[in-house]
Amino acid sequence: MRLVGCLLLLSGFALVLAALVLLTALSQRSAFAVAGFAVELLGLGLLTQGYKSLQKGPQ
Amino acid sequence: MSPLPPNPLPLDQLLCLFSIMLVPLAAAGLALIHQGLGRSRSAAHSMLATLCVLAISAIVFVLIGASWAGFAGGPAHTFAAGGVRWDWLGAAPALARTAHFDGPDASGLSRSLLLCLEMFAAGLAAIIPLSAGTDRWRLGPICLASAVLAAFLFPLFAHWVWGGGWLAQLGANFHLPPLVDAGGAGVVQAVGGLMALSVAWITGPRRGKYSDDGVAAAIPGHNIVLVMFGCLLALVGWIGFDAAASLLFYAAGPQKIAGVIVNAMLSASAGLLAAVVVTRARYRKPDASISANGWIAGLVAGSAACAFVSPVAAIDTGLAAGVLVTYMVEIFELHLLVDDPGGAVSVHAGAGLWGLLAVGLFGRFPDGSRGGHLLAQLVGIAALIGFMLPLIHAANLLLNRLMPYRVDGDGDWQGMDIRELGAGAYPEFVVHADEFVPR
Repeated sequence: MRLVGCLLLLSGFALVLAALVLLTALSQRSAFAVAGFAVELLGLGLLTQGYKSLQKGPQ
Repeated sequence: MSPLPPNPLPLDQLLCLFSIMLVPLAAAGLALIHQGLGRSRSAAHSMLATLCVLAISAIVFVLIGASWAGFAGGPAHTFAAGGVRWDWLGAAPALARTAHFDGPDASGLSRSLLLCLEMFAAGLAAIIPLSAGTDRWRLGPICLASAVLAAFLFPLFAHWVWGGGWLAQLGANFHLPPLVDAGGAGVVQAVGGLMALSVAWITGPRRGKYSDDGVAAAIPGHNIVLVMFGCLLALVGWIGFDAAASLLFYAAGPQKIAGVIVNAMLSASAGLLAAVVVTRARYRKPDASISANGWIAGLVAGSAACAFVSPVAAIDTGLAAGVLVTYMVEIFELHLLVDDPGGAVSVHAGAGLWGLLAVGLFGRFPDGSRGGHLLAQLVGIAALIGFMLPLIHAANLLLNRLMPYRVDGDGDWQGMDIRELGAGAYPEFVVHADEFVPR
């Protein structure tokens, strides 16, 4: 889960960069960048959930 | 007595020099906050760790990191992709050879000032994770992680934003305004806050923090007076940092510095009051430690746009940061089970990212559309979460393999002072006598 989360973080960032390189109109770029940002948030959520199960610690 | 030099420093450089001299007070403030919010059995360790972090990050940054942070218009590593030349890492001569401490030319002095400010900025970024690792992060790994942060992680993002890297060149390459981060909300605070998140994940919670079914126990800070005093010191340091960075990186000019000072104070005040009101409404009484976090969150969030917003916008930014941090602290501690004793993730990463976004929402710029500025700031936030966080976390996982971050079970129980330093911070106050007896 943590590895997938990290990969999603990188994928979201790649989407944002792709928006800058491939598109020219501000509205299209913004929509693409927001989508990439949403993918990043999904990855962050997965990463967080992955670590949540390890966070009990020594009692 | 030698006469005054014939050409005294220009006003902006003199102001910049004076502002940089205030920045170590921000480190002092953060150090007091971190140790005050930790347990008394780790107080001396926390302060010593802060000094070690500052020492290591200064040496490593000046010798190595400054080369990779680079400066605008300086040599850089680039590559071409998608028809664009991506400037991703500075390539200035190592060992601080671009700084001319006795050079007469203006550009040389600017580079010397740049080195001064970024040296302290690297130290500030490296101090922030100490808060998340309080009471269980060992001194050796702290030093190692700080060296890596100051040598590569901080300079990488500093180059992107302040050193003429690709985020500073969004205009030339993509017809967007450049990312604006006048006071280091992203470069310093968010990078340090994301490092703190990674450290909290890797070190795990303190012993006894969570029960088997995930219910959190309150482990209050041991000296809230020091925390509040740290907030006051941090204000002075922050004003210095915001002013110096605005002058150096965004050519704000001396006439804008009064506005920078007013905005820093207003955003901190709004952050504090928002936290006081929210905690009063939710818990019946204001929570002192969360309110202190609100103050720092206001400073963090307000720093990104300190030279480019009106006082009203600075208040809005601080208010939102104060509200945000009260909820983020609770979500991280109670729902995501991230044991972050000083709230570094919420205060520095959360408020730092909000501050970057606030530039796009509230910033007053002579050129570029509001949408363009918002998109540029969003790209910067995406770079921090989507690239810097995985990179920072991978570096921490690797370092944890080389030198385990977390103290062993007995050390956790004894406290870091006894375990790593051999003596407590308050030897005459034997409040944990039973726990100091070796088993």
